[in-house]
Amino acid sequence: MKKNIINKKYKFGLKILSAIALFIIADQPGFSQELDLEKEELKFGFIKLTDCAPIVIAKEKGFFEDEGLQVEVVAQPNWKTLLDNVINGDLDGAHMLSGQPIAATIGFGTKAHIITAFTMDLNGNGITVANSIWDQMKENDPELDKDKPKHPITADSLKPIVQEKLDEGEKLQMGMVFPVSTHNYELRYWLASAGIHPGMYTKTDIGGRTDAEVELSVTPPPMMPATLEAGNIQGYCVGEPWNQQAVAKNIGVPVTTNYDIWKNNPEKVFGVTKEWADENPNTHLAVIKALIRAGQWLDATKKKGIFRRGLDLVNRKEAARILSQPNYVGADYEVIKNSMTGFFYFQKSDKREMPDFNVFYRYYCTYPWYSDGIWFLTQMRRWGQITEAKPAEWYHKTAKEVYRPDIYLKAAKILLDEGKIDKSDIPWGTDGYKPATSEFIDGIPYNGKNPLSYLKSHKIGHKF
Amino acid sequence: MKLKHRIYKLIDISGLQLFDPVARLFFREEPQVQIKRITQFIVIPILAFGLFLLVWQIMAPRHTTKSGEVPKPGRVLDAAKGIWTFHNREKEKSIAFIASSDEANKILDNAKNRLEEIESSLIPAQDETIANLEILEQEWRDKNISPKIKKAANIEYEINSKQNSLKTELEELAGSIKANDKNAKEELVLRLEKLELQKSKWKIELAELKGTISILESKKYPLLERAQRKKDRLEEEKQYLSVYIGILTKNRNSKVEELNKKLVDYSNSFYAAESTKVMSSAKRLVRQKTRIEKTSESQYSAAKTLPYQTLRSLLCVFTGFIIATIFAIPLGILCGLNKTFMCAFTPFIAIFKPVSPIVWLPIGLIVVGGFIPDPENNALLSIINKLPIFSSFDVNPAFLASAITVALCSLWPTLVNTALGVSSIDVDHLNVARVLNLRFRERLISVIIPSALPLIFAGLRISIGVGWMVLIAAELLASSEGIGKFVWDMFNNGSSDSFAQMFVVVFLVGGIGLLLDRIMIVFQRLVSFDETAPSV
Amino acid sequence: MSFLSISDVSVSFGVEDKKVEILNNINLDVAENEFVAIIGFSGSGKSTLISLLAGLQLPSYGEVALEGKPIVQPSPELGIMFQNYSLLPWLSVFENIELAVKKVFPSLTSIQRKTHIGKYIEMVNLTPAIDKKPSELSGGMRQRASLARTLSMEPKILLLDEPLSALDALTRSSIQDEILNIWEKEKRTVVMITNDVDEAVLMADRIVPLTIGPNASFGNDFNIPLKRPRNRTSLNSSPEYKKLKKEITKFMLNMNSENIKLNKKSISLPAVFEKSINEIGQEALIA
Repeated sequence: MKKNIINKKYKFGLKILSAIALFIIADQPGFSQELDLEKEELKFGFIKLTDCAPIVIAKEKGFFEDEGLQVEVVAQPNWKTLLDNVINGDLDGAHMLSGQPIAATIGFGTKAHIITAFTMDLNGNGITVANSIWDQMKENDPELDKDKPKHPITADSLKPIVQEKLDEGEKLQMGMVFPVSTHNYELRYWLASAGIHPGMYTKTDIGGRTDAEVELSVTPPPMMPATLEAGNIQGYCVGEPWNQQAVAKNIGVPVTTNYDIWKNNPEKVFGVTKEWADENPNTHLAVIKALIRAGQWLDATKKKGIFRRGLDLVNRKEAARILSQPNYVGADYEVIKNSMTGFFYFQKSDKREMPDFNVFYRYYCTYPWYSDGIWFLTQMRRWGQITEAKPAEWYHKTAKEVYRPDIYLKAAKILLDEGKIDKSDIPWGTDGYKPATSEFIDGIPYNGKNPLSYLKSHKIGHKF
Repeated sequence: MKLKHRIYKLIDISGLQLFDPVARLFFREEPQVQIKRITQFIVIPILAFGLFLLVWQIMAPRHTTKSGEVPKPGRVLDAAKGIWTFHNREKEKSIAFIASSDEANKILDNAKNRLEEIESSLIPAQDETIANLEILEQEWRDKNISPKIKKAANIEYEINSKQNSLKTELEELAGSIKANDKNAKEELVLRLEKLELQKSKWKIELAELKGTISILESKKYPLLERAQRKKDRLEEEKQYLSVYIGILTKNRNSKVEELNKKLVDYSNSFYAAESTKVMSSAKRLVRQKTRIEKTSESQYSAAKTLPYQTLRSLLCVFTGFIIATIFAIPLGILCGLNKTFMCAFTPFIAIFKPVSPIVWLPIGLIVVGGFIPDPENNALLSIINKLPIFSSFDVNPAFLASAITVALCSLWPTLVNTALGVSSIDVDHLNVARVLNLRFRERLISVIIPSALPLIFAGLRISIGVGWMVLIAAELLASSEGIGKFVWDMFNNGSSDSFAQMFVVVFLVGGIGLLLDRIMIVFQRLVSFDETAPSV
Repeated sequence: MSFLSISDVSVSFGVEDKKVEILNNINLDVAENEFVAIIGFSGSGKSTLISLLAGLQLPSYGEVALEGKPIVQPSPELGIMFQNYSLLPWLSVFENIELAVKKVFPSLTSIQRKTHIGKYIEMVNLTPAIDKKPSELSGGMRQRASLARTLSMEPKILLLDEPLSALDALTRSSIQDEILNIWEKEKRTVVMITNDVDEAVLMADRIVPLTIGPNASFGNDFNIPLKRPRNRTSLNSSPEYKKLKKEITKFMLNMNSENIKLNKKSISLPAVFEKSINEIGQEALIA
């Protein structure tokens, strides 16, 4: 760890200097590579999930190096430690759950101002239930009792099982990875869309089990299959490779993916503390540049713009090979390859193509949308993690504190000038809000510009 | 003759009494006795270990669960080799990054040739082998697995059809019962109840059958599995080589060269610059210079590998152990000397001693976090990181928290033993001190501490054992780069190698634990003045 | 005024009705360079007496004084040689003595100190074992080392607390000779505690019997007017020696039988007292 001996005055000077540098960059394309880095040796954290790919690829394919960065990429044991390490400065930045920077900034859990200028991927999660539950679901809905049942599978067929359990005085138990994880919200969304109450967070109930018909609990991703097999939980929502492991080991059946719950939903972001970003603006830009290029590499196709199926993604096999290294995700290549190359096993007999299972670059994926941040805020409010009703402006303001498209666009602009990306890859003129969409499992439309009316449109959970 | 005794003494002091009979046999001293001792202390343990390996080899494949298979010894050895290869590759990458251009060119050719060989001949050859084996596998499956699956499936079918026929039978029966036939109706209910009971039994049976089938289905043809693993290794090497070549062609030296070239351009344009551009090109020049300086000092940030993690764990355990010792011995002496102090301290010992490292660690993290709010600019950390050994291990708060956890868990045996050693000091020795009118300090240094030393060291030995045991858990939780983190990472990988890697860690941790214990025994023997010091 | 005087000394433990007197109103004067042997049965308070003389313990009443100054704490002047050697087992013979010499003669240079220590080790014939640890020595050698240490402090008075009781007969007699030898060469006041009449008669100028405790006190002195240097073999045939031995033995035996008549359990008590003395010694030290 290099001690930063630059004093504050000098730092201020540096900022001005870098502003000048940026000005020069804008003027003279030839200068564009020369970001005046505040810090060259960086340490990033990640959790062993396939969607850490952009960071790993940027390192292994030399995109960080191209920016003059030496980056150490270190696996973290769990999301809490990862966040703590970013906050205490042991890590410069990390692969984070979309909800983490928001929750940290508004002070749910650990309080710290975290920002993100880069969305790492879309989709990539699945909901798996135990074999016995799957058998009962099939009994409840004979349509499911086929080799390849029709998708999406809703939680409607789960509801009678939940009711039966409740009548016996028990509650179905399901696992998710972190209170502010996308998995928590997706699992809740899936359950609630079928009228199953997943429980509310209150000031005193930080486990989120008040009024629950199905109780959700935190389980670390690698422990999911084992916990399921042991019978402590009857289902879980988690990222890859842990759904495919359940199929490979024959202990559970993935019933749906988050692609079906909300098409092209944001999954992970690259988060840093605001303090770090303010101290190292140019390094931050360099990092975002490398990450954008990594995303581009991950989603590269044989011919530009031609994309029909997962196999068209030419670099994914190599990516799976890299990710299967023990210091990265470390799971077997075969297991990682499936989802990375656009296949997903729902059962051993049910292998489907899911070309968009992991999206790293297409659909303007890497842009940090305010509307994504607002969606997570609405979910936090819906389930009571935000304990008081807030006005609409608060949602917009908070999202803008956390999501930083300004930094993203600056980095993208440099890449464009360097000729490394296409103009059409980046949504240059956007106001940061995705168009309204109703591509949810229950068809309820979401418009980021109007969070309060979205909250009102759900049956279960806080409505304002 | 003197040499002989010197060797015996050395063996005795070094704690390697195991080899005493070997040395004595070498000098033909009572050969029969020595051979008997060798059999007893060396041959039998080796045989026992061999037997253990054998049992392991035989039993491992029999224990198959859904989570995987217990690895055989060979697989564990493979995993160890894999860990070592990974370590070497990371090292090679670091070397490549700082190599001079001559060196880089030299190794570059080798690497390119090897890559070429792998891509054009080794992998295709392996693919062919796999294709052939796949045919064999099908035959093997048809012969060994399919019949079993079929048999299980048949039973499953039988049960299902029996269940269905019984159900239809009862349904028909129900249809034929007349409205006023009370007996027949009661009979039907009875039979229905029986059927339900039978059904639940069948359900369990079916579930078991399903389990058996799935395990059978997941059985792999050993030869094919091995071939695929070999291919995986080749692919991994290919991957490594392409990164390696990338580093070689664009390493530190070449970067600096490139930057230097640009520097020349910049300085030319600076001297040619007109008034309005003088400042900006001067800045550009200065910036380029610092850039070159920074680049020429940069290092490849290699992944942390098990050898490094092991050394860091050792450093951590020693740090914790030293912290523990610094507190435990003085406190122990105070407890031993002063009954009041002992009484005041006993409750703390009793309460804190059994607390698990899992509880201490978060507390340790909070405490360390309190002292070191900003690790980047912390005076204490930067001092520690300048110390000779610590400098190469990047000491961070997680490391300190782990060390503190180790200290908190391991200080008790030393404390208790020191107190015991001091309080049980021979009265005659104290009388000597009185007669000599030794002052407190003299008495402490020349009588009390030496007298308690054997017990203190016995405590230290237990302490370091406890510390080493606790460290793994602490590192795992704190995510401090060390063996504990390695274990957690490998567990998180959930790959087919994970189990084997765990076994490697078992032997590594056990081996180091043994070594630490032996070292402490040597110390213990050096300070003990009675002849009863333990040797086991 | 005598060199060493014990005047009206009583030692008791406990309070009020549970009070046990160990030594009751004893008086003794020892002249300079006199060799006095105090003889008594085990449990008669001998150890308490020597602790008083060494300053390890204070009397309940009365006073113990050396050259008129009361003894209130141990000091190197009061050279006590313990019953069980009391060598520090982690130090070699040389180092054990060095520890004492350094403390008593801090002004010696290291060479002077070495010569000084060497002299005393030579005196007890231990030079070959100078670098050995106590655990490597036989009982007799340990006692010699202990003697050398006591002598090296050049004490004004030598207090020997049953120094030879743990040794076998042969070693014992050889060390007796040695002590006598040394004493004759370097005249010094010696108070020796013993339970061996032979030893007492052989070595001492005067023998003071201690009556059986509790409530022990001194019986009549026996002067030993035997000529010096004394020789074990010639003494054995000397009628005077035989007579003295007989007389003292008889006195002691009488005392014992009287005591048994008076109080049957007296012999069983001492162990308790010895222990409590040790405890007191330790507590005093820690405090």
